[in-house]
Amino acid sequence: MSKPTDLVQGTLDLLILKILALEPLHGWAIAQRIRQMSRDVLQVGQSALYPALHKLERQGFLKSQWDLSDTNRRVKYYTLTRAGRKAVADEAANWERLSAAISSIVRAV
Amino acid sequence: MTRWLSQLRAAFHSIVHRRGAERELDDEMRYHLQLEIEAQRNAGLIEKSKEECRDQRQGRLLSEFLRDLRYAGRALRRRPGSATLAISIVAVGIGANTAVFSVVNGVLLKSLPYPDSNQIVVVRTVAVKTGEINPLVALANFWDWRAQSTSFEAMATYRSGEAPVTPGDTAEYARHANVDVQLFRVFKIEPLIGRTFGPEDLIPDSSQPVAMISHAYWQSRYGGDRGILQRTIRVGSGLRQIVGVMPPGFQFPNRTDVWTPETNRTASRTSHNRLAVARLKSGVTPESANAELNIIAARLSKQYPDSNEGRGVSVARLQDQLVGDVRLMLYLMWGAVGLVLLIACANTATLLLANAAARTREIAVRTALGASRRRIIRQLVTESLLLAIVAGTAGIALAYLGLQVLVALTPADVVRLTDTHIDGRVLGFTLVVSVLTSLVFGLVPAFHASKIDLADAVKNGARATAGGRTIRARAVLVVAEIALAVVLVTGAGLLVKSLVALQNVDLGFKPGHVLIMKATGVRSQAENNAFFAQLLPRVAAMPGVLAVGATSIPPGDLTLSGDGTYHIDRVPEVRDLDREPHALFSIVAPGVFDALGIPLTRGRDFDDRDTADSSLVAMVNEALVRKSLGGQDPIGRTIFCSWDRKDGMTIVGVVGDARQRSPGLEPMPECYMPYRQHGYNSNTLNVVARTDGDPMTLAPSVRRAAAEIAPEVPVSFTTMEATIAKRMEEPTFRALLFLVLAGIAGCLAMAGVYGVVAHAVEQRSKEICLRIALGASRTAVLRMMLGRGVVLATVGTALGLVGAFGATRFLATMLFEVQPLDAPVYLAVVVLLGVVTVIASYVPARRAAVLSPVELLKTD
Repeated sequence: MSKPTDLVQGTLDLLILKILALEPLHGWAIAQRIRQMSRDVLQVGQSALYPALHKLERQGFLKSQWDLSDTNRRVKYYTLTRAGRKAVADEAANWERLSAAISSIVRAV
Repeated sequence: MTRWLSQLRAAFHSIVHRRGAERELDDEMRYHLQLEIEAQRNAGLIEKSKEECRDQRQGRLLSEFLRDLRYAGRALRRRPGSATLAISIVAVGIGANTAVFSVVNGVLLKSLPYPDSNQIVVVRTVAVKTGEINPLVALANFWDWRAQSTSFEAMATYRSGEAPVTPGDTAEYARHANVDVQLFRVFKIEPLIGRTFGPEDLIPDSSQPVAMISHAYWQSRYGGDRGILQRTIRVGSGLRQIVGVMPPGFQFPNRTDVWTPETNRTASRTSHNRLAVARLKSGVTPESANAELNIIAARLSKQYPDSNEGRGVSVARLQDQLVGDVRLMLYLMWGAVGLVLLIACANTATLLLANAAARTREIAVRTALGASRRRIIRQLVTESLLLAIVAGTAGIALAYLGLQVLVALTPADVVRLTDTHIDGRVLGFTLVVSVLTSLVFGLVPAFHASKIDLADAVKNGARATAGGRTIRARAVLVVAEIALAVVLVTGAGLLVKSLVALQNVDLGFKPGHVLIMKATGVRSQAENNAFFAQLLPRVAAMPGVLAVGATSIPPGDLTLSGDGTYHIDRVPEVRDLDREPHALFSIVAPGVFDALGIPLTRGRDFDDRDTADSSLVAMVNEALVRKSLGGQDPIGRTIFCSWDRKDGMTIVGVVGDARQRSPGLEPMPECYMPYRQHGYNSNTLNVVARTDGDPMTLAPSVRRAAAEIAPEVPVSFTTMEATIAKRMEEPTFRALLFLVLAGIAGCLAMAGVYGVVAHAVEQRSKEICLRIALGASRTAVLRMMLGRGVVLATVGTALGLVGAFGATRFLATMLFEVQPLDAPVYLAVVVLLGVVTVIASYVPARRAAVLSPVELLKTD
């Protein structure tokens, strides 16, 4: 069996979009937020996070801009685009459908 | 919409601001790392993520390619020895292919230098039943085809050869064509000066005879005189007005310098003695023209069954007809150099494989630092690509040189060889070949290198890990090299054996020490006969001359031909003409058989009694007696030949068979006739003189004697040996070409064997030292290492023989008295490769045998 921290393929995109729907964040903060919100169950490494961010940006769901952080360093902030907002809804609905389907099977057997 | 825009912007941004994007990425990662520094210590992860991010970025392929290219350049410079070797091997392969392709391009692929040359076709006679094509047509049939067909814009007949021409004061031979007035319309070529022939030139006797000349002839004989249209030229016996000069480059047919219009009005349906070309109307295909002409031909067959029954027409593109004979040879050459290139690829692949093995540690480090397998492969393929491009450039230089040699060596009668240049298409071909080549020799080592076991490689370095798999891959490549080399060596063996057979064939005459002087009388038959009658005794009296005679067709000279059907003791009817049985006809002067060394087997030679007024006589050869008289005594029988005289001739003598046409062709029935009894055809004779020394030293005195008797007679000299050598040019060229290619292939394959055995010795030196220390004899070690080479050679040779069985079929038509599956040749190839392989393996194997156990202690 896979480790509990492994993410189902594609769900990372949803998590990123969902978290950015609340407020613009930089990469490290996104990873932290995912960990906190999942109560340390989900841990996203650099090697998964940034490719996903860059991919989403390339797909037009995110846009990024450089800004100064609290500690006065240059940091890249990611913001949801309008297409991104629409995608959050779609992906969330998808996820609900998928997880409900999986749950019903898992419980039944 | 906005999504597309932002995508586009991101792509644009990443291309334009690549360096900026790189820095931003770096900043982003650095910041993350700083924050994560506790959790993520492993520095490699940064690189890995960066690499994956780059994969997500547009435009990365190009930038990575450039990076790979820079790196490849460095990698090649780091090991200049093996890089130079690999580049030279591939350069030879690519160079040879480029050279041959330029010939193929010039001869086969480029279209002819005439307007809409695809519409120009040849029109030939064909035997409906057998499909056998006779390129010659009969004038009367041709005129009917032209009058009744609608497919053509213009149709023209022609015949060409050397004619006595007197441009100024001295007589000489010039390439001359007697052509239908429509010929220039077929080619759509306008004259540079003056006019081409028109209907006015066809009115018999009412106008001045005319001629046209080529640009080259105008320059060389008239110095480009602008007043050329006021000048006359003597062609044969008649003075002609020059009416036009053709533009440079137009010399159809056959490098013609002087054209005269066809004025023949009397036409035959049985004398097939003209060639024909035509221009199709636009939109008409050769096939539909062929169909139309055959309907006309079928009608003519009904109308004139005696002469035309079973005769059809065959239309083909002029270009296809011109290159017809050469095509197979060129494709064969192409195939052979293709094999050499494959071998060069295999060789380079083994070389790169060895390099990759040596670079194991470097590649392992790169992999550990985050490079994916795909990246490593791409890097190595880029290296081979760079190598191939450099080799391709060197190959073009080699091809340029090779082409000079190739054109110089190729038999002179290969058409359009002058069109052979390195042009854009050739360069494109070279580029494609280079890229394909780099893939062929680059992929195998690249895949191997990318599969390296990291931990093992970093720990042990090249020696331990390159091990089994690489050696196996090299062995497979070397087996392939040997197999390909076997195919080429077998081909070369067959061609060489065939050439030797050709050189030793009994020609039926003795070609050594024979001078040939061609001369053409331009006056009346009596005067022309008198010229030769006076000249021959004078030549015979010259010191050093053993025998002298004359003939219309010296053996091996294909430019002059006289042939047709004959009948014994039976006057042939019209329907018999131009059908079987077939014989060569020669006009000869007494003494010719002595001079050529053809034995008189029965009866007598011609002599001075055989004059224009005496009864008609002829001599035949043994082949004719065998074919038509079944061993009966031919002397006193009457022979009828469908040639210049229809009367019967009494056979007075029989001579031995000679390979009259070419050393490679069986003797055929021949009929000889005395020159005084045959008008037109005795105007041009070749005086043949057998001498006791170098025949050419005799030429000046013979020329003087001829000029004293008749200064207006043009003469030209050659020797029997030179004429025969011309017939040998093509088989010699083929054999030589294959020999060279087989040599290159063999050397490359042997270098491969050497490399594999040497590599194995190096890999197993520890084991060998151990064996020696434990008491293994040096012979046993030697045998063990030799075994490797022998196994490779055996497998490779076996595969190669299978390939040769299949491939040598294509040589069948080029072989003389040798079968494509000639057992001795195959055996010789096997023995030769066996011996060479053992030598190639012995050298490195000996090194293993002299290893000392002390070495083992030193290295580890």
